[in-house]
Amino acid sequence: MPFFKKFSRKNILLFFALLGPGIITANVDNDAGGITTYSLAGARYGYSLLWMLIPTTVSLVVIQEMCARMGAVTGKGLSDLIRESFGLRTTFYIMIALFLTNLGNTISEFAGIAAGLELFGVTKYLSVPLAAALVWLLIVKGSYRIVERVFLIVCVVYLVYPLAALSADVPWGEVARAAVTPTFRADGDYVAMMIALIGTTIAPWMQFYQQAAVVEKGITAENYGFTRLDVIIGCVLAVIVALFIVVACAASIHRQGLPIETAADAAMALEPLVGKYASWLFGVGLINASLFAAGILPLSTAYYICEAMGWELGIDKDFRRAPEFFWLFTISVVIGAATILIPGMPLMFVMYVSQVVNGVMLPFVLILMLLLINNKRLMGKFVNGPIFNAVAWVTVAGLIVLTAVMTIDTVWPGAISALVKLVAG
Amino acid sequence: MNELYVSAVLGRPVIDPSGVELGRLTDLGLVPGKTLPVVSGLFIRSGGRRRFVPWSCVNLFTPVIVSADLSGEADSDTSWTEDEETGAITDIRLRRDILDRQIVDVDGAKVVRVNDLKLHSRGKSLFIEAVDVGIRGMARRLGQLRFWNWLAKSLGVTLPTREIDWRFVAQLDPNADKLTLTVARERLTDMHPADIAEILAQLPHKEAGTVIGALDPETVGEAIGELDPEVGGRVISQLDSEMASDILEEMEPDEAADLLADLPEEKVRELLGLMDTEDAEMVQELLEHEEDTAGGLMNNMFAFVPPAMTAEEALNYIRLVGAEIENVYYVYVIRADETPLGVVTLKRLLLSPPKTPVAEIMTVGLKAVGVEDTPGKVMDIISKYNLLAVPVLDDGHMVGIVQADAVIERFLPESVTRTRFAAH
Repeated sequence: MPFFKKFSRKNILLFFALLGPGIITANVDNDAGGITTYSLAGARYGYSLLWMLIPTTVSLVVIQEMCARMGAVTGKGLSDLIRESFGLRTTFYIMIALFLTNLGNTISEFAGIAAGLELFGVTKYLSVPLAAALVWLLIVKGSYRIVERVFLIVCVVYLVYPLAALSADVPWGEVARAAVTPTFRADGDYVAMMIALIGTTIAPWMQFYQQAAVVEKGITAENYGFTRLDVIIGCVLAVIVALFIVVACAASIHRQGLPIETAADAAMALEPLVGKYASWLFGVGLINASLFAAGILPLSTAYYICEAMGWELGIDKDFRRAPEFFWLFTISVVIGAATILIPGMPLMFVMYVSQVVNGVMLPFVLILMLLLINNKRLMGKFVNGPIFNAVAWVTVAGLIVLTAVMTIDTVWPGAISALVKLVAG
Repeated sequence: MNELYVSAVLGRPVIDPSGVELGRLTDLGLVPGKTLPVVSGLFIRSGGRRRFVPWSCVNLFTPVIVSADLSGEADSDTSWTEDEETGAITDIRLRRDILDRQIVDVDGAKVVRVNDLKLHSRGKSLFIEAVDVGIRGMARRLGQLRFWNWLAKSLGVTLPTREIDWRFVAQLDPNADKLTLTVARERLTDMHPADIAEILAQLPHKEAGTVIGALDPETVGEAIGELDPEVGGRVISQLDSEMASDILEEMEPDEAADLLADLPEEKVRELLGLMDTEDAEMVQELLEHEEDTAGGLMNNMFAFVPPAMTAEEALNYIRLVGAEIENVYYVYVIRADETPLGVVTLKRLLLSPPKTPVAEIMTVGLKAVGVEDTPGKVMDIISKYNLLAVPVLDDGHMVGIVQADAVIERFLPESVTRTRFAAH
C-alpha cells in the first residue's frame, strides 16, 4: 500500500472511521428522552407496545435514507434546501417551531443529566449548572471529534439492556407475539405514548443531522451505496437497543406492578442482572447519552437555523463574527439548564413530554422532505420510488391521526373511547 | 418611484389596461444587460394557467399596481428553455434562481443569502441594482417590516441595512452565473487565498466548482492549500479531473500530497496520471511517507546549490527557480551525492561579495531531522534554533525540508485551522 500514509495513529481510529454518519446519528437518538420513553413504555404497558417497533423501524430507515440521499445528491443541508425551495416565509416559521421543539429536547437532556447524577447522590443544583458549563466549553473550545469518540465508546453501556433482558427470565414467546400483534387502546395516555415512541425514535432534528453529516463527509451520488447500508445498520441498532429497554422494563418493573416516577425506578430494570449496581449503570448510560446530546442538540439547531437564514456559522468563529450562531447555541444551553433548576421539576415527565412534541412536529418536517425528494429538478433520477413515498406518507398520516386523537382526548376526556364504542357497536 | 424591492411586487395581481386581472406575479425573467441584469418579462399565474409577459407589454410596474397590455400577444410558452444537448435549464428567473440562494459577497469575502432584491428603473428598462442580505430584507419578505421596526425602536436600536451592490456579487448557480459582472470576477481573483479558502469551505461541494471556474488554477491551488486537507480533498474530488490536476500542479507538492492522501487510490492514480510528470513524481515521492512523521510534513521543493558556486551564481539560480519554490530564504549547500554540507541565507548571499564561493559563507553544523522523526521532534528543533525550515535527511541524504508553518499548524488547536465545522 505505498499510496497510503495513514497507518499509524489512524490505525487505532480505523474502527471509528468505519462508523458512518448513520450509525452515529442513530446512537445519538437513544438520548435521555429515548431511554425514558422506552422505559416508560415497558413499565406502564408491558409488552403491548412492542408491535410499534417494527413499523417504526421501517419508517425510520426510509426517512433517514431519504435525508442521506438528498445530502449526497444535492450536497446541501436540509434547511438549505427548504429555504431555497419554499422561500423565506415557510422556512422562518418551520425554524421557529424547530427551535422550540429542539429546546424541549435540550431541556430533556439536562433533565437526564440531573436524573442520572441524582442516582449518585449529586443534587441537580450542582450537576446541571456544571454540566451546562462543561457542554458549552467542550463545544466552543474543545475538539468535537474527541467528544464524539468518547460518547461512542460509552455507548457500549447499552449492551447491559439485552443482557438484563436475557437474565430476567422473559417469556420470549409472549414477546414475539406482542411484537407482531397490533393493539390499540382508545385512551389519551396510550395514544400519547404511541406518539412519543415514534417521536423519540424518529426525532425531527435527526433528519437535519443525518443530512448534514452526509454532506460534511463529502459523500456524493457516486459513492452513495455504502451510506445506505450505514443508515440501515444504524437504525436497526438503535431500535434493537430500544426493544431491549422496553423488554427489560416490562419484565421487571411492569411485572411487579411498580410505578415509575424517577430515574431510580427506571434503573430497577437492570437489577436482575447487576443487582445493586443497577442504578449506577443506568446512571452512567443516561449521563453519557444526555451530556453528549445536550451539546449536539443546541449546536445542530444553531447550525441549521443559521444555514437557513444565511447567517455566519461555525465553532471556528466567535461571538463577534457569528453572533447569531453563538447566541442561538448559548441561549439553548442556558434555557435548557435553567428550566431544570426550577424547584420541583418532574424530570421523567419533562423527558417524556418533549418526545411527544417531537412526534407532533415530525409530520411537518416530513411533508417538506417529501416535496423536496420528489422534485425532479433537484434530485434527477434519485427521486423517491413508490414504496418509499408510501411508507413516508403513511407515517405522516398516522402521526397526524394520532395527534388529532390525543388532542381531542385532552380537550374532551373520554370522547374518543366513546366514539370507538359507538363504532364497534 | 424608480427604486423598488422585489418582495413588494411578487404575488401582486397584474391587470390589463381595462382593469381585468390577468393573473398574479410569480417570477421575473432576467437576462444579462450591458452592465446590470435586466428584467426580460413577468411570469404570471392565474388559476392553473401560467403565462409569460414580455417586458415590452408592461406599462406600469409599481408596488401598488402592475399593469400590462397583452392585446396582440400570443399565449407564450412558460416552460423553461432547455439546452438541447445537456437538457440543462438555460433561462434565468429571479425567484427561482436568485432569491433565497447563497451568493458570494466579493467585497466582504463572505457567503451570504439573498433575502430581497432591489430593482431600479432607468428609461424603459428595469435592472437589478442590489441584493439585500440583512435583517431588514428578511422582515420585508415576511411582511413584518413595520412590526420589526417598531420592536427595534422600543429596544432603542435600529434594524441595520445590509445591501450589497450587484457589482460585488458573484452567483454560485452555474446558470445564474451569467449575471455575475466582470467587476465581481476580478474582485474574486484579487482576493487573498485565505479568504477564498474561507468561502470554499462554506459552500456546498457542487457550488464550489462555480467559484473555482472563475479563478486561475494558481489562485485556487493557494486557496485549497489553506484548507484543512480533508476539506480540500473533497473540493478537489468534486471537480472534473482535468481541472483538478491543473490545480494540483500549481500547489506545493507537500500540500498536494496531503490532499491526495485522503482520496481513494484509483482517483489518486488518475489525477497523478493527468499531472505533468515532474510534478506528479514530486507528489508521489511525498505520498510514501507516514502522515505524522517529518517525511509526511516535508516539502521536497527547496533551494540547493553545489559548494563551488559563487554567491552571484547562487542568486541567479534563485531568480531562475524561485517561482517554483516556496522557501527561498534558506539555500542549502549540497554535495553531488545529496549529502548536505551547510546552509546559507538569502540575506547572506545578498550581502556577500559576488565572487565568494558559497562554501565560504555557509553556516555549517546543520540542524536536521530524520524522515521518520515525529512532528514533536521537528517542532523542538525549529523552536530551539529559531529556524524557518529544517532539512529532512533519509539515510544521510537530504530529501526535503519541513517549514516552520507546516509543523506549527499541527500544534495549533483545531479551532484555528480552517475546517468546515460539522454539526454532526
